[in-house]
Amino acid sequence: MPENIVSAVIYAMVIASIYAVLYYLNHKTPVPKGCENLNVKCEGCKISSCELHPSRKIKEEVHD
Amino acid sequence: MGEIFSMFIAAVLINNIVLAKFLGICPFLGVSNKLDSAFGMSLAVIFVIVGASIMSYGIYYMVLVPLGIEYMMLITFILVIATFVQFTEMVIKKYSPGLYKALGIYLPLITTNCVVLQVTLDNIANEFNFVNMLVYSFAVPIGFMLVLLLFATIRERLETSDIPEAFKGNPIALVVAAIMALTFSAFAGLV
Repeated sequence: MPENIVSAVIYAMVIASIYAVLYYLNHKTPVPKGCENLNVKCEGCKISSCELHPSRKIKEEVHD
Repeated sequence: MGEIFSMFIAAVLINNIVLAKFLGICPFLGVSNKLDSAFGMSLAVIFVIVGASIMSYGIYYMVLVPLGIEYMMLITFILVIATFVQFTEMVIKKYSPGLYKALGIYLPLITTNCVVLQVTLDNIANEFNFVNMLVYSFAVPIGFMLVLLLFATIRERLETSDIPEAFKGNPIALVVAAIMALTFSAFAGLV
């Protein structure tokens, strides 16, 4: 049983480390040109409660 | 061959992951406003599910079982999925900017998609062999894509329809999803 737990702890540390390394490498990888501000295009729809709805941006500009 | 075909049809239509098992509702409602977004998300989900399933299947039978630590399955699969998504995003960023522009924004969203985790867990729970695991892992996201694209086309049409104010947005979307779920339940008994 103790060997089992030791294996589990070592195994958990290994896979967590692999994830941490890949996360770091991904973070360091530069974003391709033209993809700096990726977001889902919003042309405006009837879902007016959405934060991305264009009418919300107009209201914010008016308040400002 | 017949068994594989039955499994494929069952996973896509009868036991559809969204309409029968009610998983993946978040991207189902969130990314189905436009057909383009839905298609991009679907392709990313297919790729991640197949890749993560193969990796998690291999790790389970080659590491967890020999070491006698099968109880680490859940945390392992979560980390495998997250790691695979990070790796995929890194590779796509570096070698395929066009693909990154199309799918990149969806990849981090897939990490938290419960459909991916469910497929990896099902592969173990159902004691699939490698071929069955591959077929199931491919069929489930195909079913997800089918439903997502159908839903996206319906929602695009709904945008130009005369809907009562109280039903606009998510309420009518949920009504549509309920009707789709009822419709898909008719596939029971097909295979």
